[in-house]
Amino acid sequence: MARLADSARPRFAAGCRWGSQGENRVVLYPEGMLRVRATGLSILSLCDGERTIEQIVAALSERYPGAGPLRMREDVEAFLEALRQKRIVDY
Amino acid sequence: MADPTRPLIPHPLALIAELTHRCPLHCVYCSNPLEMVRAKSELPTSEWIRVFQEAGGLGIVHVHLTGGEPAARADLADLVAGARAAGLYSNLITSGIGLPETRLSRLVDAGLDHVQLSFQDAREEKANWVAGANAQSHKIELARAVRKFRVAFTMNLVVHRQNLDHLDEMISFAEQLAPDRLEIAHAQYYGWALRNRAALMPTAGQLERCLSIIALAQQRVSGRMKIDCVVPDYHARFPKACMGGWGRKMILLDPAGYALPCHAAGVIPGMTFDSVREHSLDWIWRESGAFRRFRGEQWMPEPCRSCERRTEDFGGCRCQAFLIAGDAQVTDPVCSLAPGHYLIENARQESPTADDSPAWVYRPNPI
Repeated sequence: MARLADSARPRFAAGCRWGSQGENRVVLYPEGMLRVRATGLSILSLCDGERTIEQIVAALSERYPGAGPLRMREDVEAFLEALRQKRIVDY
Repeated sequence: MADPTRPLIPHPLALIAELTHRCPLHCVYCSNPLEMVRAKSELPTSEWIRVFQEAGGLGIVHVHLTGGEPAARADLADLVAGARAAGLYSNLITSGIGLPETRLSRLVDAGLDHVQLSFQDAREEKANWVAGANAQSHKIELARAVRKFRVAFTMNLVVHRQNLDHLDEMISFAEQLAPDRLEIAHAQYYGWALRNRAALMPTAGQLERCLSIIALAQQRVSGRMKIDCVVPDYHARFPKACMGGWGRKMILLDPAGYALPCHAAGVIPGMTFDSVREHSLDWIWRESGAFRRFRGEQWMPEPCRSCERRTEDFGGCRCQAFLIAGDAQVTDPVCSLAPGHYLIENARQESPTADDSPAWVYRPNPI
């Protein structure tokens, strides 16, 4: 998989946004809704189009010190790429 | 109190709001019923907005504003605002007519999330021929306008025998307009499409080529444009999970406010529908006879009743069972295990009418 540029600034694709289902935060997009679990929620909450991927990974590494930064970067990229394929995230 | 004779009712996820049956297009495969709701019977703004509130309260997430052409309603921006206020994600399913950029901008301000624009073809002349109207240039204009706003954009391309031979050209055309999603949907044979089935049914060769063209295009545009393909169910081995199961996920409201479990349910004899003018959406979902009739597995005949796939496709489409086999209670004849499957096999062999001038019927406008 091609590595994301450090300066990439992921954010929701047009027309995708947060919503709620009962007490859970969900991502609303044209074909449905995505229930995101704890880490996914942490990643997406940081994807505001302002923070770079480097900053996002740094913030997450601080929050989850168990995972090394390299591994963290890989996981975040894989997560975001899957959402980009679905046209839920852009960068 | 739970009634053990009744199946557990999941909560609905989507509301399909057919705001009007008026439409400037006359597409030969329109899914609207042959008998359409007249303009003067349409629900007023305030009733729609109340229904959206009720939908939000029921846990519904998406509202699909459709028609006819929803832009034929002068109050469309108010309805979009009502949907947003109710916490719903709004999807506008439009032909693009009656939606210049200034009006689109008002809809976006009102909270519109997603525009789904249909195209009949890439070639203007052919597109207008299928639509029975000079629509193509307006559609292209709207497609360009949509990308100026922060809304999701899906292009919907209906394919059939008359346009499948230049599918690659249509995909390139779509790429130029840069939607997030391209839905390549084979015409489904209900409403006007069933009337015109002989002219629309793809050949086996077209179908095979189409699937490989789509697979290649999906690789090429991955990450930029998501291509979904709705396969024609006449050519599948198993039926589609129509509406995600009867009375399981969706409520469709016709322009007059009658609640249907699916677009075509009106064709089934003996169905009576309840109206949101008289009942709450919650009551309709739980109690309306139309929703209870094929909900769950009680109604299922063999081979569905003992079939492993019954929890995946729910016996297929009730309307298709009636339209093809003459009985809404039987297994969808599309299923290769259905006793009536030979009817679908026969239909697939239907002798095509001459491709240059099929004798098809255009969808008229309600009075």
